[in-house]
Amino acid sequence: MSHDPTGPVGEAVLEIRGLCKSYGKVHAVKNLSLSIPQGAIHGFLGPNGAGKTTTIRSIMNIVVPDGGEILFGGHPLDRQRLDRIGYLPEERGLYRKMTCLDQLVFLAELKSVPRSEARHKAEAWLERVGLSDWAGRKIDALSKGMQQKVQLASVFQFDPELVILDEPFSGLDPLNVEVLRDIIREENRRGCTIIFSTHMLPEAEKLCDSICLIEGGEVILEGDLAKVKRDFPLDSVKAAFVDGRDMPSGLPGVLRTERNEGAWSLILSEGADHQKLLDGLREEGALSLFSAHRPSLDEIFISAVRKRRGAAFATQEVAS
Amino acid sequence: MKLWAIIRREYKERVKSKGFVISTVLIPLLMSMTIIIPMLMGDRVEERRTVAVLDSEGRWFKDLQDIVAEQSGDGLELMAVELNGRSLEQGIQEVQDLVTQGTVNGGIVFDPDFMENGKLRFYVKSVAAGLASDSLRPAVNAVLRKARYAEAGISEDLTEYLLSYTDWERLTVSEEGDATARDERGVFGMAMTLIMMLYMMVILYGQQTLVGVIEEKTSRVVEVLLSSVPSSQMMLGKILGIGAAGLTQVAIWVLSLYLASTRGISIAGMTFDASVLSPFILVSFLLFFILGFMMYSALFAGVGALCNTIQEAQPFSTPIMMFIIIPMLMLTVVMQDPGGTLATVMSLIPMFTPVLMFIRVILETPPMWQVVLSWVLLLVAIVVFSRTAGKLFRVGILMHGAAPSWGTLLKVMRQSD
Repeated sequence: MSHDPTGPVGEAVLEIRGLCKSYGKVHAVKNLSLSIPQGAIHGFLGPNGAGKTTTIRSIMNIVVPDGGEILFGGHPLDRQRLDRIGYLPEERGLYRKMTCLDQLVFLAELKSVPRSEARHKAEAWLERVGLSDWAGRKIDALSKGMQQKVQLASVFQFDPELVILDEPFSGLDPLNVEVLRDIIREENRRGCTIIFSTHMLPEAEKLCDSICLIEGGEVILEGDLAKVKRDFPLDSVKAAFVDGRDMPSGLPGVLRTERNEGAWSLILSEGADHQKLLDGLREEGALSLFSAHRPSLDEIFISAVRKRRGAAFATQEVAS
Repeated sequence: MKLWAIIRREYKERVKSKGFVISTVLIPLLMSMTIIIPMLMGDRVEERRTVAVLDSEGRWFKDLQDIVAEQSGDGLELMAVELNGRSLEQGIQEVQDLVTQGTVNGGIVFDPDFMENGKLRFYVKSVAAGLASDSLRPAVNAVLRKARYAEAGISEDLTEYLLSYTDWERLTVSEEGDATARDERGVFGMAMTLIMMLYMMVILYGQQTLVGVIEEKTSRVVEVLLSSVPSSQMMLGKILGIGAAGLTQVAIWVLSLYLASTRGISIAGMTFDASVLSPFILVSFLLFFILGFMMYSALFAGVGALCNTIQEAQPFSTPIMMFIIIPMLMLTVVMQDPGGTLATVMSLIPMFTPVLMFIRVILETPPMWQVVLSWVLLLVAIVVFSRTAGKLFRVGILMHGAAPSWGTLLKVMRQSD
């Protein structure tokens, strides 16, 4: 369902209400509320220092919040319920001197999986990520990609209802990213809700059903990914004439034009009418291309953050 | 069950490490070196000592030689200086020359009227050589007595009887009122061995706790751990696991020493003779060892929780080392008056209990309530320290360089897990 943006999203599996946490005078999270729909892959996005890690640590009971409520399946999140949540910390959270198998068994035991069962599951998962031959080797001996596979196995191996992944792809090559992404999708299909915290927006775009964007400890944008994109004003159009002639100036609603790989990008002013523009272009000559350019998550992200920070930058200037 | 998983993990990681195997073999080796080397050196120092004897009357030398041979075996040798017609002064000159040349370690010159006035001169080159007089003095006394008894017409048998030394048997009285003969030197030697073991284990494994905690923090495993178990439980698991590894090592040493002893092999002159220790002493040693070890580990863990690197932790671990050293310095004070107020109070302070209460148990068996109280206090300290360490951990992982304020620390202490 990961790529079915129109599909139904279920009840909220995790709900955060009015979360506050400050370190000294710094407010890391300010009255943050959000809900993660059941069965979604939810992108948890925001610039550095936005409060993502603090929020995640509050959920995982690593830090004690100053205020607010965290509900899991409608109940306050206690230690017992935490056993149904998997967590992959940002940097590798593995013991360097432990073998892969021991590591997985230990981490499963921490989630209250009985030892014998934990062993079976760990072996099955090592096979699934293609590391059966490495089961008896120490983590130290593994490449970064392999380590991350072990880490991912540790998060999913106990069939959690919710998994929180903090920058799971950082420092990995595209091949490994692909393997991990497939595992995440598969587990999501199995019914596991996933919170995917990242700065790598193209990755989030590929993987997520819904997103929330936080900045300065507050949610500034939230919802279904497709809807977020739809709601975001279209700000450019790609066009080209059959005979390849230059774009005329003075087109209605166009701020400026840029030549771009044989075609033209028309940067529009806010609220520009596409129909009027199309009509105007047709009058100039026969068109070989006219397409509305959907903004990437990167563009939405930067624009939303800038807007909130009050920086008077036009979105167009930073669009890729 | 989670606690058990943590204990097992810590234990396995340590026992399986190369360092464990190496230190298990290497430490007894190094310790035996410290025992063997002084022994070898000591042999050289205690080479036979020779004392020149000028006996102008010719009546003392033979008796003295008999008694010396009987008393000190081969350690001391007498060399007669004959006058052969020379004057007494010339004889004395020869004795002095022998001493200054170093041919002999000392020289005795009997006064011509020794029988009456008991006077003699003892020539030495240095103060250290004068020690030889310690073993000579009783022998010379005996020689004079024997001669005087003979002069008084006392038979040889009676003389033997009159000259015989006293025979001491030392008995230790316990609270229960029974008196037992104890090999005090044996007990004391064993006690010191046990205290040294405790001392070493605390330093070795306490540091391991510190390093382990810091490693966990840098690798972020701590986040996974904290999201799964209360921080105090995590710390307790760590301390118990590392403690069990330490005990395993000690058990290996003690067992091999014991097995070697029963087969008549002594390792570096050390034999394990548990029979000199009462069961009570052995049990209390085990308890003091385990509890003391855990308490110090908890302290080290607390330091580790607050620091990001091992270098950073060094200055913080110094006060803990002081806690370990102070009781060692207090040992003599406590030994002189094991039942005194100072000893009683000091031995009840958890940081000092393992060494000081243990030495009191060996020396005089303090009232049972005091011993039990010291165990209880140690347990309380362990719980308090490991809880504190666990909470510091929470503060520690959020710190980036700067030390937390006292306010933050207090706030964290008040939070529940």
